[in-house]
Amino acid sequence: MEIYLPIAEMSVHWLVILGMGAAIGFLSGLFGVGGGFLLTPLLIFYGVPASVAVATTASHITASSISGAIAQWRRRAVDLKMGAVMAAGGLLGTVFGVWLFGVMRRSGQMDLVVAAAYVILLGTVGGLMLRESLGVLRAVQSGVSAPARRGGHHVWLHGLPIKMRFRESRLYISVIPPIVIGFFVGVLSAIMGVGGGFVVVPAMIYLLRMPTNVVMGTSLFQIIIVTAATTVLQATSNFAVDIVLAFFLIIGGVIGAQFGVRAGERLRGEQLRLLLALLVLAVAVRLLAGLVIQPSELFSVATVAP
Amino acid sequence: MKRTLLLLLAFCALFGGAALADEDLVSGLSQDTVEITSNYTGTDIVVFGAIEHPEDNGAHDVVVVIRGPDANMIVRKKDRVVGIWLNRDQAKLQDMPTYYYLASTRSLGDIAAPYTLKRYGIGLANLKPERVFSHHDPEPFRQALIRRKQQDGLYGETPTGVEFLSPTLFRVHVPVPATVTRGQYNAEVYLFRDGNVISAQSTPLFIDQTGLERRLYNLAHASPLLYGLSAVLMAGILGWLSSVVFRRAS
Repeated sequence: MEIYLPIAEMSVHWLVILGMGAAIGFLSGLFGVGGGFLLTPLLIFYGVPASVAVATTASHITASSISGAIAQWRRRAVDLKMGAVMAAGGLLGTVFGVWLFGVMRRSGQMDLVVAAAYVILLGTVGGLMLRESLGVLRAVQSGVSAPARRGGHHVWLHGLPIKMRFRESRLYISVIPPIVIGFFVGVLSAIMGVGGGFVVVPAMIYLLRMPTNVVMGTSLFQIIIVTAATTVLQATSNFAVDIVLAFFLIIGGVIGAQFGVRAGERLRGEQLRLLLALLVLAVAVRLLAGLVIQPSELFSVATVAP
Repeated sequence: MKRTLLLLLAFCALFGGAALADEDLVSGLSQDTVEITSNYTGTDIVVFGAIEHPEDNGAHDVVVVIRGPDANMIVRKKDRVVGIWLNRDQAKLQDMPTYYYLASTRSLGDIAAPYTLKRYGIGLANLKPERVFSHHDPEPFRQALIRRKQQDGLYGETPTGVEFLSPTLFRVHVPVPATVTRGQYNAEVYLFRDGNVISAQSTPLFIDQTGLERRLYNLAHASPLLYGLSAVLMAGILGWLSSVVFRRAS
């Protein structure tokens, strides 16, 4: 049965959308990521307008993150204070990002900026992950235990003012770095339709030095707030959230995620990361190809308000 | 506006010359509204009509045009800049139809002179914007617009689309794809004889969303804050429900 999407103004087969949501949900359960970075390009490849894809994905991530955050909350693995500080930065970033989104859409460079942002971010993150997981796998094969990670000390980060105590994270640091990270992720959420977990989690571990047991829950908590704000702002300023599309994506997503989590328990961590790295790089390469290969049709048409 | 005037003129010419030529046209639509419902995937509407008092053999031609509401459109052209293809030149075409389908008894060139077709704005070649804003020659952009719309099934021209069921009775199947714009459409039927329009008729057709789709669309535009909050609420409830359901299951 085909369903008509009132905002995207196109008809789609509901099973396709449900399947897409389930596939992304499976991957997000498997890898512990939101999956927005895969869902947005997938929707665009399927023919959903880029603006609707970005805006609607945000609400899909809200749902899957709530599901995950509740599980983390039961384990008391959420630093609410840190999450709130980052979300404050995230809200500012979202407002800025949604404004930027509108400007780009009017100037006709929307698709380019979204694709370029994806290529840069996914290329970088995927490359780093690939290098790390290959290194670990090689170390495991040669029988040598992987060297313990010891980052720099970030002296300049500790010299910043407005310090605050974060009890659950056992940290006493300036609020500026979490706010800046939150802001950056808020912008990403608005223009790329991603939750930003793949940026927040490494930033929390390597920059803020948060204990790994609270990282997952805290990042989910702040992603919920940022993507919920993105959804509302995209709805009010760009009229780009398609609630029917979101409904089917979410239903598929939450079901797929459960199977993903179970499949993930049977795979080893570094294998998972290698797979995820390859997946991320594949999406980046596909988007890069779209930018550099001469398109078969050079012209595009957009209907504008009078 | 100009088109409506021309149609009026055609009507006047018809009534003025009624004593001379009795050949006339009646036409209608299979439906005067198309409702976009939750399982809408596009449809076919039928324009039918008859030629009254046809003169002798049948040297007449019928042209049927369905026109959607006008809109302003921006056509952008990609260009290679340091190895990357990005939108560069653009033209804004004012008041181009969002939908245009033409069916005729034979190719337009055989029916009437280019001058006549141009005067009535008949045919894709005569689709001209009211105004163009561009720093470049707008013609390639206009042609690209028509080509892209044809690929999307929103513009079309079928020289054999008018099907005669009897010497006087004809019908046309008009494809209406799922991506059509909502609004008022017009079905114009022209009767040509010896290269001149001797009769014309215009019938309005409304395409609109109904039911839940319409309410959602209206809500999204009339009270976007409420709509956005509902989307978040829905996401919240579904997320929470799934954690409850699957916690029980596992």
